[in-house]
Amino acid sequence: MIRFIDVHKAFGPKRVLDGVSIDVARGEVLFIIGKSGAGKSVLVKHLLGLLAPDAGQILFEGQDVAGFSERDFFPLRKRCTMVLQHSTLFDSMTLLENVALPLRKHQGLSHAASLEAARSKLQLVHMERYADRRPADIGDGLRKRVAIARALTMEPEYVVFDEPTTGLDPISARHVDRLIRRLADETSVTSIVVSHDLASIFGVADRVVMLYQGRVLLDGPPQAFRDSADPVVRQFVNGLPDGPMDI
Amino acid sequence: MRALLDLLGHAIRDARFALTVGGRTVYYLARAPLDRAAVWRQAFEVGNRSVLFVLLTLGFLGAIMNLQTGFQALRLFGDASLVGAQTMPLVLRLFGPTVTGLMVATRVGTGIAAEVGSMVVTEQVDALRMSGAPPVDYLVKPRFVACILMLPALAVLGVTASFVAGMAVSYGAFQVNPATYANFDLVRTGDVFEGLLKALTYGAVIPIIAGAAGLSARGGSEGVGQATTRAVVNASLAVIVLDFVIGGAAFVLRT
Repeated sequence: MIRFIDVHKAFGPKRVLDGVSIDVARGEVLFIIGKSGAGKSVLVKHLLGLLAPDAGQILFEGQDVAGFSERDFFPLRKRCTMVLQHSTLFDSMTLLENVALPLRKHQGLSHAASLEAARSKLQLVHMERYADRRPADIGDGLRKRVAIARALTMEPEYVVFDEPTTGLDPISARHVDRLIRRLADETSVTSIVVSHDLASIFGVADRVVMLYQGRVLLDGPPQAFRDSADPVVRQFVNGLPDGPMDI
Repeated sequence: MRALLDLLGHAIRDARFALTVGGRTVYYLARAPLDRAAVWRQAFEVGNRSVLFVLLTLGFLGAIMNLQTGFQALRLFGDASLVGAQTMPLVLRLFGPTVTGLMVATRVGTGIAAEVGSMVVTEQVDALRMSGAPPVDYLVKPRFVACILMLPALAVLGVTASFVAGMAVSYGAFQVNPATYANFDLVRTGDVFEGLLKALTYGAVIPIIAGAAGLSARGGSEGVGQATTRAVVNASLAVIVLDFVIGGAAFVLRT
């Protein structure tokens, strides 16, 4: 179980998180939504030590990671990984080598063994035929699929997806949705998904948390989100340019 | 006054972060296996990027120095035959390693800062951390080892270029016989060691400073640009300061 307890974070005078508390249960698919700049990515980066909170606790299976050193985070990142917003593949490597990197670094596998193991992960996202290409040779959507494969190489128990369907065509986006759902249903992987994509939210989420002005505005199943009478939630669900939500 | 204090504050922050990166580089050098392929790739990059630059710069510097020294010698003593003997210790101790260091700081330091900085602002460094690859171990360590290997080699090539160019100019301008020019009587073993020690030290310091500048890049392309500028300014300054420190220490030891 993961718990964010009263997390605060500011960048200079800008207060991004102002006491956010969220519990994430094992095996669930939790969507964190909100307008751009609401602090969704900032929040999830705290879990993996990519940012440190100003105040508050982040409990990973009972352990507070807020005070972890960089070295403490390495074992945690084997169990909980993240697909970053940009595909973040390494240009100097082939796609297969990109996917194999965590196996070499986290597990200490040899180059050849890691490549062999990585090939099956590429198959998972239907990218095996591009294995020997370099990131510059393929489009954004395909790069994102490879980044997902790389995140899954360690067979993590928790995966954080930061806008996994942004920039993808609708068909690729639904493939990613299906993969997230399958991970939860078949292997009990817990997914925390940062997203704006309403089709994804209503398609695969078990629970939705909406952040607004640095706090949790709504926490409930997708249906509660759809039926909410809150004017800010209504504006977001209906994608209206005018409303109470500040831009 | 405020601007000066800001500048000082930035310099102290940069120096502290560079020390941290340096400490971690040494830690990973001792504790983590070295990716030899990455080291050779970087060594090739460092050599390839700098060799022509170093040869040209030190070649011309050797020519200019011999020309000016020869003119002075002719004016004062009416004889320029010792021009090679007079300039050689200076080239070995000072110009060879230090100009090579400055060239590498400019060519390689900027490259390291730009590459690492771009990886930071595009979250590739975060992806490395997710993959279990500490950024200092993966990005800075191979460049550190490569520069330590390549700086002395480049300095030796630079000194050779300076020697050959100086010999040619001395022959052309003052009719100094090449055999007379190649007079190493004033060169001591200590001069060679001093030059090599300087080259090794610059090789260790330049990638650390440039890597630290890259790792501290923030924002977008503007942040990468600032990191690149910081890398070349700080690394060049470090080369000059270290030249003074090592040169001073060598002088104290000699006397």
